Amino acid sequence: MLMHEAGADTKEDSMPERRVFIRVTNLEASYHGKPAVRGISFDVGEGEQLSLLGPSGCGKTTTLRCIAGLEKPTAGEIAIDGRIVYSAEHNIDVPSERRMLSMVFQSYAIWPHMTVFENVAYGLRVRRTHAEAVRARVTEVLRMVGMESYIDQPATNLSGGQQQRVALARSYASLPKALLLDEPLSNLDARLRVHMRQELKRLQRESRITNLYVTHDQEEAMALSDRIIVMRDGLIEQVGRPLEIYDTPRSRFVADFIGAANILAGHALEHRPSGATLSVGGARLACAPREDMPIPDADGNYLAAVRTVYPELRRERGDGADNWWPGTVRERILLGDIVNYVLEWPGGTLRVHGFPHTLFCEGESVWVHIPAGRAILIDADGD
Amino acid sequence: MLFRSLARPTRREPISLPSLVLLGVLLLVIGYPLLLLAGMAFNVGDAQALVPTQLGFANFVRLLRHLEWVRNTLLVSAAGSVIGTALAVVLAWILYRTSVPGRALLELLVTIPYPIGPLVGALAWSELASPRGGLINSLFHALTGSHASLVNVYSVPGIVFVMALFETPVAFLMIGAAMRRMDPTLEECSAVMGAGRLATALRVTVPLMAPAILSAWLFLFISMMGAFAIPTILGANSRFYVATTAIYMLFEGYPPQYPLAAAVGLVLIVFAAAAVWFYTRALRGKSYAVVGGRTYKPRLIDMGRWTPVLLAVVYAYILVALVLPLGTLVIASLQRNSNLTFSAASWTLHNYRYVLFEFPTTRQAVVNSLLLGVGTGTAGTALAFILAWVIHRSRGSGRFALEQLAMLPQSLPRLIFAAALLWMILALPLKLYGTLFAVLIAYIIVFLPLAYRSITGVVVQLDRSLEEAGRVLGGSWLAVMRTITLPLLSPGLLAAWVLLFMISVREVSASIFLAGPGAQVLGPAIFNFWDSGGLPQVSALVVVQTIIIFAALIVIRAVSKKGVAL
Repeated sequence: MLMHEAGADTKEDSMPERRVFIRVTNLEASYHGKPAVRGISFDVGEGEQLSLLGPSGCGKTTTLRCIAGLEKPTAGEIAIDGRIVYSAEHNIDVPSERRMLSMVFQSYAIWPHMTVFENVAYGLRVRRTHAEAVRARVTEVLRMVGMESYIDQPATNLSGGQQQRVALARSYASLPKALLLDEPLSNLDARLRVHMRQELKRLQRESRITNLYVTHDQEEAMALSDRIIVMRDGLIEQVGRPLEIYDTPRSRFVADFIGAANILAGHALEHRPSGATLSVGGARLACAPREDMPIPDADGNYLAAVRTVYPELRRERGDGADNWWPGTVRERILLGDIVNYVLEWPGGTLRVHGFPHTLFCEGESVWVHIPAGRAILIDADGD
Repeated sequence: MLFRSLARPTRREPISLPSLVLLGVLLLVIGYPLLLLAGMAFNVGDAQALVPTQLGFANFVRLLRHLEWVRNTLLVSAAGSVIGTALAVVLAWILYRTSVPGRALLELLVTIPYPIGPLVGALAWSELASPRGGLINSLFHALTGSHASLVNVYSVPGIVFVMALFETPVAFLMIGAAMRRMDPTLEECSAVMGAGRLATALRVTVPLMAPAILSAWLFLFISMMGAFAIPTILGANSRFYVATTAIYMLFEGYPPQYPLAAAVGLVLIVFAAAAVWFYTRALRGKSYAVVGGRTYKPRLIDMGRWTPVLLAVVYAYILVALVLPLGTLVIASLQRNSNLTFSAASWTLHNYRYVLFEFPTTRQAVVNSLLLGVGTGTAGTALAFILAWVIHRSRGSGRFALEQLAMLPQSLPRLIFAAALLWMILALPLKLYGTLFAVLIAYIIVFLPLAYRSITGVVVQLDRSLEEAGRVLGGSWLAVMRTITLPLLSPGLLAAWVLLFMISVREVSASIFLAGPGAQVLGPAIFNFWDSGGLPQVSALVVVQTIIIFAALIVIRAVSKKGVAL
């Protein structure tokens, strides 16, 4: 990752254009009488893996539930596969069961009074599928999630991870148009969560079904999505591919919420299409170009985000004129796989992510380099 | 009020059609009788008219000459509810928080006196502790040769004692439920911080339990204000009248004095409202989220050498509230005449044959009570389920008002509300008086709070996503209700059904005015039977009633291991 240059990931850039499959237009909704979604629009492409990412209360779950038909929006329009399922203007509200979707709930919602088979067969049976076809399909999806040996067990005997697998099998069974997932991994312990994340990724690849995934966990969103929508206070903060959001956050909120970043404040010395320069404390910081001027903070300073993984620490000054400063290691925290440094440099303090192959001592004098392309101008948060 | 499962609404939304319909129905069957009662209390014209012909305060002026009715009511209710609640706290603490052996069975035995009911309790205790001829006094005479009475249940302390005894189980269930819902780490934290067992109890446990204890006390207080069987049976000899017995006397006298009875009732309702107000005020800002829906397994306190003492307390309660009363009545039911004998050779089953087969009134009462039990169970559960559903699973305003209205009968002394219901039945253009249907309506309404409370408990616990999953996967509303909601709720619904069945079979207060020649029911039949003498036969009828209730109890234990959900 250290060697990685911004915008160099051509594999993601070459993703094919997709047909719009779910279209949300000017959606507004309230939750417990308070506005939760305040007019958002986005598309989900056919077969796309899209995540709604944000802290609790940002409106992501309400958005998902509106698409599922479990909450009634107050305004806007939702279309699935070319068919309008909700429109405030035209007074259309297709009931949940006729939207041909399926959903995985945070609590899994495995029905305790049914067996594993009955749980998975539910969506097929209510749509009056032939009994033999039901059996075949249920066996198939249970095999897909590795639960075929539990088929006739009562659902109450399952562990959390097993319930999760059954919930996934159940949502795949009836071949839905799209799969909605509401924080499906958040009730699992850390180790199982990582494991299930890989399982989900595999299932996504195999099934190629459109996924809309709600999470507050940036790692999950990064790992599982083609695109991420970052939400805040009922509005969309930024939309982009995972690496795009990681490398070029638009705002302080996104920079803080995803990954770890230093937020450096300074006044602008110059701003040209080729890049801007900020004066941060005693340091002249050359930043990556940005088309528009970012929104300054309350003190009139401009902000630049520097991911803690991108500054380079050296014992000697490297090549290049820009963005090299002498600094002192003030604190070192060894976490095992990674090392966290807190550095004093002319611009104040800087947090830097290092690796155990090169260790610096506390109090050691070092040279620190921030590649200009890694200092990203961001909008200060409105409130 | 006594019970609130919804937060007060913050934003106005349009009222939904089901809410509107239910509000209308409840206003008719709860609001209208109360309106009739209030009108009657101020009626100084034709005393037999349902709608006041002339308004005035004369009834209240007349009531001033009988202030002892109100005073006696408040005295026995206050004393009985405080003793009953205290006893319940002690029993709940022993059985839910200490490691005494045999807790599961003891928990069941402690709750049984409630479904058995106060009428049975009063009859049994008058048999046990009447000043002349009571078993305890007879035994005392035989042992000491003295002719003084050791105990006299025909007294104010006697009435308070028996009332407390038979209402304790309700308070025990309410307080016990709260104790099990309290997060034990709150107490453990206090202990780790250095507080001793007593300091923890006083500073953490009691304040956290206070809302539940106060709520149980209020329930008992209002319930005792409406108690009828105990003060009648134990107070009649000494001409000790409380509001309910006075109202009964005014109803039964010739001519019936409805306006004065209504005035007594209205005054009592005002006192009940004051108690509710006091309760609400005392709890303002104290609804602790820590006592949540989850049930914990608290660490049980080992009381060491005190364990036998605690057990003795529980055994003593079971002895005086269950074993002695039932034992006495069973023996009395086997006698040939009113003089009790303990020689099994002279016992007979004739009384059972008489009440079950030979005497048409009691035979009819047994059949009718079974019908009513089934009817109240079915209709009451259905209504409470619909209410709980609309209140907790639908949108729109009006749901808060609906819940308050559904719970209102709980704040009304039962016999007084039953009188108001009688007037509603008479005022409705439906010729319902004297039919079982009238009694059924009364039962459904007076037991609605209990049914609603019990069913709300299970509806709220049903994770909404279980139903939502069904909808998203393609199930219609009806299909989800049939395949998911009802199957998951069925143990809770069945428990509520059995609870309603039991309390309908044993009810007296709500049916005493409505039961009659065309509609014999067990409770009033037992009471009238007692009134006209014939103790062995009454006892046989009581035992029959108790057997029905025990059968229902066995069903309820089979469906839920948790016991009666209140």
